[in-house]
Amino acid sequence: MKAISQPGKRRSFHLRDHVQLYLIMLPVLVHLFIFSYIPMYGIVIAFQDYYPGKPFLSFTDANWVGLKHFINFFNGPYFGRLMRNTFLLSFYFLVFGFWVPIVFSLLLNELKHGVFKKFVQTASYLPHFISNVVVAGMVLSFINVDGIMNVIIQMFGGTPIALNTEPAYFPAIYTITSIWKSFGWSSILYLAAMSSVDPNLYEAAKMDGANRFKQMLHISLPSIRPTIFILLIFAIGSLLSANSEFILLIYNPMVYETADVIGTYLYRDGLLGGNFSMGTAVGLFISLINFTLLYVANSLSRKYSDYALW
Amino acid sequence: MVSARRNPNQIKEGSIVVDIILYAIAFIICLITLYPFYFVIIMSISSPQEVAAMNVFWYPKGFNLSSYELIIRDAKMWWAYSNTLIYVSVGTLLNCLMAVLGAYPLTVRNLKGRKWVVAYLLIPMYFGGGLIPSYLLVNKLGLYNTMFAVIIPGMVSIWNIILVRTFFTTIPDGLKESAFIDGASHLQLLFKIIIPISKPILAVIAIYSIVGIWNSWFDALVYLPNEKLHPLQMYLYRVVVQQSVDLKMLSLDDAKNAVATMLSNIQLKYAIIVFTTLPVIFTYPFFQKYFIKGALLGSLKE
Repeated sequence: MKAISQPGKRRSFHLRDHVQLYLIMLPVLVHLFIFSYIPMYGIVIAFQDYYPGKPFLSFTDANWVGLKHFINFFNGPYFGRLMRNTFLLSFYFLVFGFWVPIVFSLLLNELKHGVFKKFVQTASYLPHFISNVVVAGMVLSFINVDGIMNVIIQMFGGTPIALNTEPAYFPAIYTITSIWKSFGWSSILYLAAMSSVDPNLYEAAKMDGANRFKQMLHISLPSIRPTIFILLIFAIGSLLSANSEFILLIYNPMVYETADVIGTYLYRDGLLGGNFSMGTAVGLFISLINFTLLYVANSLSRKYSDYALW
Repeated sequence: MVSARRNPNQIKEGSIVVDIILYAIAFIICLITLYPFYFVIIMSISSPQEVAAMNVFWYPKGFNLSSYELIIRDAKMWWAYSNTLIYVSVGTLLNCLMAVLGAYPLTVRNLKGRKWVVAYLLIPMYFGGGLIPSYLLVNKLGLYNTMFAVIIPGMVSIWNIILVRTFFTTIPDGLKESAFIDGASHLQLLFKIIIPISKPILAVIAIYSIVGIWNSWFDALVYLPNEKLHPLQMYLYRVVVQQSVDLKMLSLDDAKNAVATMLSNIQLKYAIIVFTTLPVIFTYPFFQKYFIKGALLGSLKE
């Protein structure tokens, strides 16, 4: 009955403990309330005609306009282009980029442990740690009319191309750069999964006469199948969330036709243009779609394989 | 039946051709990854004439560091550098502190309402207000155009809380019990016993936070119109992306100097890129193991 705890026995828990623990957490809880939950509530301005200075937290003073901003956006001149670009840029990255880290990790797995393998790994991770601004600066200078890409094109007898102002080239530039920046780092999870394979499996396969390719196909690849599925679910779930922070750095008005995505439009027109309600509506619309996509991908994966996020 | 009689090991060992192909591919991948950086470096130190003629491909031609001389005399760059140091140090410290404070109570199994707290923490991982409501909030709080605008909103990371919590649960209960018997409070236990033995995980999140803040620029673009508050990445953004800073006008005296040595804009840009990215390139191989640890720890939670 006394509060003195006895050795070996779990100490009894008091109100004081709860108060202490909640006080410890208090800064985190308050921070999340202010910087995560209040903005969530701020989504209500998507259904209002909000302008700065207006009390958007109030239900009585706000001009409620229902779905006006959504309908305006759907009927607006840029809706088709934005949806197409947002989808295509993510889709290209998925189709051309998803398998790269898988193949790369299978390749690394075949190299013998040593300095060279370590070096290849370290080198391939490097772009992940370089800031978007630096990568964008490098890409922009490479694709400039007098940049190295055009010098190479001329060396092979071609004529210089305005790579940075011709919309047709933007998707390729974006996709290649994104793959270059991410493939090494993305291979980490695959490599980790493969490293946990029992070496005896490979020995047994050798005994059965399996060559290296067959060992890769029947042992290494199956060992990373769960990882592949999980990452595929994520990739499909983000099919409408192109990396707008990076696009913002490498696009320009001349290539909006193929480069402008929802995120960049939201920044330009919503934030800089001061169309706060419209921007919030667009943001809400796209996050609803993304959540639906993730949900569908997850359900399908759970139905047809055993892998699911939840 | 030749193939049947062959020693199975020979199939594995005998594939030297395959080995050569694999190593060659790996080498090419390395080249693709590293060449852009290498190109930028050799361009930045070559002689201006060779750079202007786009003659530099495999090794620096001529040797000229005048672009670097020009940059290190640019007060704006040093200003941005020191801002970044402030953002990184304060931000990282707060990130670690908040992760620890958020994680510890979750490890106490009989905490009342723990389920609710976990839900409260996880919801913001999946839903958010988005750019504009956050922007309006930062404005309303009076943080707009102050250093706090890029420090405070990002100081809690649920991800870090999860990582730290996972580590805390591996600490043996006996350690905590004995501290309580000595009359320690939860806060004392956390700071005197748990944090000192949690250095491995704190190192992981500190390093993630350092690189994250060092590389971030978008918050500054949105929240900091005042150039004096800009971090290094925003300075870079102005120079290499927006091209709103004319590099040859860094200062009046240097302008003559620059024209005299025929420094091209591209060379100055590359020198700035090298100068501001070197700290990352040189330190990252040493910290690589922490990054990998973080990536793997994080994936376990999924």
